[in-house]
Amino acid sequence: MKKKINYFYIVLIIIAGLILVSIISLSLGSVNLSPYEVVKIIFSKKDMNNSLNVIINQIRLPRIILGFLVGAGLSIAGVVFQGVIRNPMVDPYIVGISAGAGTGVTMAIVLNLQFSFLFFNTIPLTAFAGALITVYIVYNLAKTNGNVPVVTFLLAGVAVGFVLNAVMSFLMVIGTRDLQKIIYWLLGSLSTASWYDIKLMIPYFLIGNVMIIFFLKDLNLILLGETHAQHLGVDVEKTKKYLIVGASLITASVVSVSGSIGFIGLIVPHIARLLVGPDHKKLYPTAAILGGMFLIISDNLARILLAPMEIPVGIITALTGGPYFIYLLRKTKKEIW
Amino acid sequence: MLKLKGIDFSYGEQQILHKIDFHLRENEFIGIIGPNGSGKSTLLKNISKLLDPDQGFIYLDKDLLNNYSYKDLAKKMAVVPQDSEINFNFTVYDLVMMGRNPYQDRWGRVREKDRKKVDEALQLTDTEKFKDKSIQNLSGGERQRVIIARAIVQEPELLLLDEPTASLDINYQRNIFDLISNLNNKLDMSVLAVSHDLNLISQYCDRLILINQGYVHTMGKVEEVITKENISEVYKTNVDIKYNPITERPYVIIIPHSKNIQRRKTNSFIVHLICGGGTGKDIMSILNDLNIRVSCGVLNRGDTDWEKAKRLNFEVVEIPPFAPIDNKAVQKNEEKISAADLIIVSNTPFGWGNLDNIRVLANFKDKDILFITTPEIEERDFTEGEITALFHKIKKNNNVFETNDNKGLCSFINNRYEKMLYD
Repeated sequence: MKKKINYFYIVLIIIAGLILVSIISLSLGSVNLSPYEVVKIIFSKKDMNNSLNVIINQIRLPRIILGFLVGAGLSIAGVVFQGVIRNPMVDPYIVGISAGAGTGVTMAIVLNLQFSFLFFNTIPLTAFAGALITVYIVYNLAKTNGNVPVVTFLLAGVAVGFVLNAVMSFLMVIGTRDLQKIIYWLLGSLSTASWYDIKLMIPYFLIGNVMIIFFLKDLNLILLGETHAQHLGVDVEKTKKYLIVGASLITASVVSVSGSIGFIGLIVPHIARLLVGPDHKKLYPTAAILGGMFLIISDNLARILLAPMEIPVGIITALTGGPYFIYLLRKTKKEIW
Repeated sequence: MLKLKGIDFSYGEQQILHKIDFHLRENEFIGIIGPNGSGKSTLLKNISKLLDPDQGFIYLDKDLLNNYSYKDLAKKMAVVPQDSEINFNFTVYDLVMMGRNPYQDRWGRVREKDRKKVDEALQLTDTEKFKDKSIQNLSGGERQRVIIARAIVQEPELLLLDEPTASLDINYQRNIFDLISNLNNKLDMSVLAVSHDLNLISQYCDRLILINQGYVHTMGKVEEVITKENISEVYKTNVDIKYNPITERPYVIIIPHSKNIQRRKTNSFIVHLICGGGTGKDIMSILNDLNIRVSCGVLNRGDTDWEKAKRLNFEVVEIPPFAPIDNKAVQKNEEKISAADLIIVSNTPFGWGNLDNIRVLANFKDKDILFITTPEIEERDFTEGEITALFHKIKKNNNVFETNDNKGLCSFINNRYEKMLYD
């Protein structure tokens, strides 16, 4: 019983933290507002053309929501990949997704395919396509006799990732004038966030999450080892397929709108595991909320620290998350994996 | 319950299992034994649907194994795997609850019945006291009991175990097998267990299957399978079979290689040992270690010394249990003595029954005789002085040496032996 209450409080606290962080983030920026004003603007229906309203509802709110979705998505994908592959070093990009998305974007920029077609911005579309094609290739490379052995999957992902990184570097070298643009994208940023981005990614994000939620209980059993799981009645191959495809969809959707923001997918799952243990039914929501909150905070720092210049948020996540994670490792002194 | 028909299985080119047939009946406990790499674990993996046989059929009850979904199979059959190491911080309670997985819906909601089953299993396996502990903080034996508890809550009709006691100490070995036997008897689970430990599994199971190089070598009652011929042949090692006096089941004794070197066929040094009642056991060991050819006489069958001599393949002049020495035996004994270079007389007690063992010595004036003289002959004389008199007479007339203990015996024999080699 004691454990349940613990978990309940932890979730309650991090949800409260998330709301608080969101409101503070909405009030921060070149136009400073008090949190009270922020809440008032969000919940008032009138004054639609008011400039404050535009700042909050059209600029800051989508950015925070997108920040949450990206952070949560990367953390969820990290939890799933770490669980399925049973390896603590795995992050969502391990299967070559970021390299695939990056290659797509680099191609679009270098080959000057960058245009808006009926409101569609090509950058996220090419990123998404690149990510999905890569996962498809990696998945099929790893497939042997209808099964997908996780180690083969991992190695295929790493190998394909290397090849794509080489392709990307080559494209960057021949298209030197676009170098900065590409690097900026690769480092990851939420600076172009809009409601459009959210609409673009949310269907895949949701489909991926539904696929994962259906198999959370089975993922717990897979942690014990695939043979254990099968003896306990889990159709391991089917479960793995759904989980891998679900996590890949989420990662692809996230990468397409934010670039490859590093570190969140690797460490947030570990922090969540420290808090609530290895049970995925608890780990999934905890990691999602923590990841979302972490990215919103990092994005604030990215916006504010050198204002009016923006630092790519990927740099902030690594710079703040890394030392914090090391601190946790040293402090807990117990094996967290 | 479980029926295998003509199971063939290969890893790539290499065929591991050949035409395996057997039938596990309801509520039966079958043990599978065989050397390393004989295919035991592979067979178990075929039965638990981790591997698909190339040929043949596996029936679970009336249905083919392949017709079961993983979930339905998990309700019928539970598996305790060889390696139960778990790298995640689940509590014992949560881990055992995972055994309820086949009975739960997609969201893993825990119902009252699940809790009850888990509590029962924790009690049955005596793991209740650490149900809130992390599985990682348990010892190997405790963890294995938890894994068995997890298997119990699956409410299986068939329990498969792969080396359930590998790397456990004897207390846990007994503990785990008692538990399995209990599940077999009280909860009516059929059990199929693979084990390296011939002696352990032989004490518990109803039938044994001996597998060798992927074939069923022998199958049947424990006594039919655990025989000197079968085990020596399959394991390619020299063993002997004894019976556990309490369970009346056979068990295998290993004979170390050093004790098993072919005795020198041509060696000319032969010792004849007169002993009885266990007094000759140590002497036999010493002589055997020195690879000396030994004959013993006259011993009653069933006597401790007789058993030992038989085990060491010594030549023995024997008579029925508790019978006095008859003329025929005396004659045979004399033959052995005349062939020997040295006669050793252990410190066995003498009565009317074995008096003749000493009396014959008087005829061999030219032979060396070694007496073990502690305790004194007077204390071991149950013939009202007759044997003592005989003893002293032989000492006077024959070539007699004396020593107090085995140490003296060793050095005496070594001396003798060397001397003989030089000559």
